[in-house]
Amino acid sequence: MRLMVFSDIHGNLEALQSVLKDSEKQNIHRHICLGDLVGYGPFPNECVEIVKNLKKCRCIAGNHDVAALWETSPYGMSKSAKEAILWTMEQLTDTNKDFLANLPDRIDLSDMSFVHANPYNPRGWHYVLDRKYAMRSFAATHCKYLFIGHSHRPLIISRKNFLSVTVKSIHGSEKILPDEKKRHIINCGSVGQPRDDDPRASYLVFDTLKQEIELHRVIYDSSVTVAALQKTDLPSSLYKRLIKGT
Amino acid sequence: MKVNSHGPQATTNLKQRFFLWSAIILLGGGVILSLLSFWNTRRLLMNDAMTKSEVILREVEAIRFYIKQELRPKMFDLHGNDTFIVEAMSTTYISTRIMARFAETMPDYLYRRASLNPHNPDNLADPFEEEMFTWFEEDSNRLFWQGIVKKNGSSYFISMVPDYFSKSCIRCHGKAEEAPQELTKRYGTDGGFRFKNGDLAGINSVAIPVSEAMREAWYGSIYLFIITLGGSVLLLWLLNLLFQRLVIERLGTMLALIGEKKKGKAKLPMGDEIDFLHASLGSLNQYVSSARKGSTLQPNFIGDYIVTDPISAGTMSWIYNGYEQKTKQKVSFKIGYGQLLQNPFYRACFETELFLFKELDHPSIPKVKEHLNDTLIFEQIHGNSLNGVLNPKGIDLRQVKLLFSQLCDLISTLHSAGIVHHDLRPDVFMLSEKDKLLMIDMGLASIDQQEDPIIAAGLGPQGDFLYMAPEVLQGSRGNPCSDIYGLGLLLYIALSGKLPFDEENCSKNKWLRKKEDIATIEKIRENIPDSFAPIVTKAISFDYKERYQWVEDLWGDLNLALRDD
Repeated sequence: MRLMVFSDIHGNLEALQSVLKDSEKQNIHRHICLGDLVGYGPFPNECVEIVKNLKKCRCIAGNHDVAALWETSPYGMSKSAKEAILWTMEQLTDTNKDFLANLPDRIDLSDMSFVHANPYNPRGWHYVLDRKYAMRSFAATHCKYLFIGHSHRPLIISRKNFLSVTVKSIHGSEKILPDEKKRHIINCGSVGQPRDDDPRASYLVFDTLKQEIELHRVIYDSSVTVAALQKTDLPSSLYKRLIKGT
Repeated sequence: MKVNSHGPQATTNLKQRFFLWSAIILLGGGVILSLLSFWNTRRLLMNDAMTKSEVILREVEAIRFYIKQELRPKMFDLHGNDTFIVEAMSTTYISTRIMARFAETMPDYLYRRASLNPHNPDNLADPFEEEMFTWFEEDSNRLFWQGIVKKNGSSYFISMVPDYFSKSCIRCHGKAEEAPQELTKRYGTDGGFRFKNGDLAGINSVAIPVSEAMREAWYGSIYLFIITLGGSVLLLWLLNLLFQRLVIERLGTMLALIGEKKKGKAKLPMGDEIDFLHASLGSLNQYVSSARKGSTLQPNFIGDYIVTDPISAGTMSWIYNGYEQKTKQKVSFKIGYGQLLQNPFYRACFETELFLFKELDHPSIPKVKEHLNDTLIFEQIHGNSLNGVLNPKGIDLRQVKLLFSQLCDLISTLHSAGIVHHDLRPDVFMLSEKDKLLMIDMGLASIDQQEDPIIAAGLGPQGDFLYMAPEVLQGSRGNPCSDIYGLGLLLYIALSGKLPFDEENCSKNKWLRKKEDIATIEKIRENIPDSFAPIVTKAISFDYKERYQWVEDLWGDLNLALRDD
């Protein structure tokens, strides 16, 4: 079974469409979206509609999704994120708000688990980037592969033993064969707002038979998203970071 | 709540039976407890009496030996061999006198020295002691006896030892003419003579009266029985109250519902509420069976729709054809079994099923037009049950491909949404003439983001054991691999026309053994390439970890095998 995992679309319709077009070549069976469909970007409703209607796709809630429903306060976010959320709240239709409101925090499939930020406190939204939070995440699950998003940086954290992990950033499109005897945390990066100095949209495909992770980076026309952002009153920093990938 | 809606005899029988059996068990327990208490007290009493009487008897024996071996020889030394002072030299006299004084302060300890031919007529053996003489004489190794003896209406615990004459005793107990004058003057020459060395002289005994203590033990047991009886009555009353509330009243509600349906139609069976319920479920089963066969049990109207002929039956519902009155547009209905839905657990399952039909969007799931109470109105369902389509000799590979491409895609869609069907069997599918597959039943499905009503209710495996995955038979739910087992069996049936095991009805454990015993399938049937056998074998592995973990992997292998063909 070939599973596509993607995350952090953030209302970037152009990036999402490019990623889905690219994935058509990958013989994908199922999709998992790790949340943050909205926030930052100018097309929240369109992105929700696409994910909602994607065949064999399940989605979990991200911090921007719950903030757009006032389930958590946007005032704890950065200034630009807060302004974008307040704007998104006004844009979202009731149907799409219902969809976001019913998203679960975690999905478990066979030997895999999927969360937006971390499994030990799913609504605490801590980034899992280092040993401390990786060990907490391993302790909170029993799965072999834990897929996360949230940090917008593709990486793989492998558990070496009870005390230590290895953290490896993934740059560009790459195929990785993780050690089958170890447990791994895999961050699929971001579709709509990459922050690893690579502006290309990111998603991954996990082949359960080969136990292989394929990270794909997709070039998209960010000028469409930038132009749409410029038509709103949202801060200019939001589209500048799309161009740089930071 | 009154529970006599189906006849006075049936409503009280179960309660009476429960009450009667509880009373028998509690009273029987009380009697056994009292008897055990009496037996234990008696045992302790006997042990105590045994120890005490033996101690006293051994003391008396010690006194007698002291007289024989020390006092008497000393007296001979001091007063010469012709002298015999009874108060200082007779073992019987001294021991009897000492114990008589002892009895003044301890009247419960009775000492006796008994002989068949005593000097002192007071020491003549009574009939019981005569019997004991015989017993000791029969075997010279018998040196001690203990037991309970009834005398003058009272019970005594008696310890007894025999006393044999020694050489020094013969002077007073041998020939009367050689006996000391002191002795013959006191007792005469009639008794106590003509003995030889080694003859049984007499028996010494200590008796302790036990009648009073035994009476107290008996009274104690009776008190215990009375207390147990009181407690039992109270417990019975509480149990009765609890049984009434928890069982009888609720059972009564169910029976009232059944009674209403059956009013004037059926004769009440003899027996209690359970028998009645059993009979009612039997008739419900017949009712369902007749509905499955498409008999004339058609409801007429549902809302603006007219119901016509039945198509099939699901786990908790019937499927009927019908049409909308105004537009004459043909539709199909999914109608819940009214009586089954009285059970809140089955209702929860049914509501999950309705939710899934409304929410899921797939070509193999009928489109819902409307939801009216416990009825879903679908766009018309065409075709026949897959059960009827599957040929006893298996269907051709073109049809297998058409069927399983739809089936695998459907199950994969369910699994993608976190849904496990749990009940994949030919009866839950319809196949149209254009080979379009439709799933008409999801009554036992579970959703991973919702509480599973079957697990929540603590119910055991639900559904048809024949098609059930082993782990589901063992009570597990929510594992997508369980549906892969069902797909494996469907594939086997599609290819061969039969199941890989006999279909005899048997217990859950026997089904588990049957499913575990399936050997690796080498060949499905003639004209079917060998490449299909390992696919089926893997799909129906007893251990779910050895099965395909994803429907897509099963379809991948199957598609390859079909393409190779």
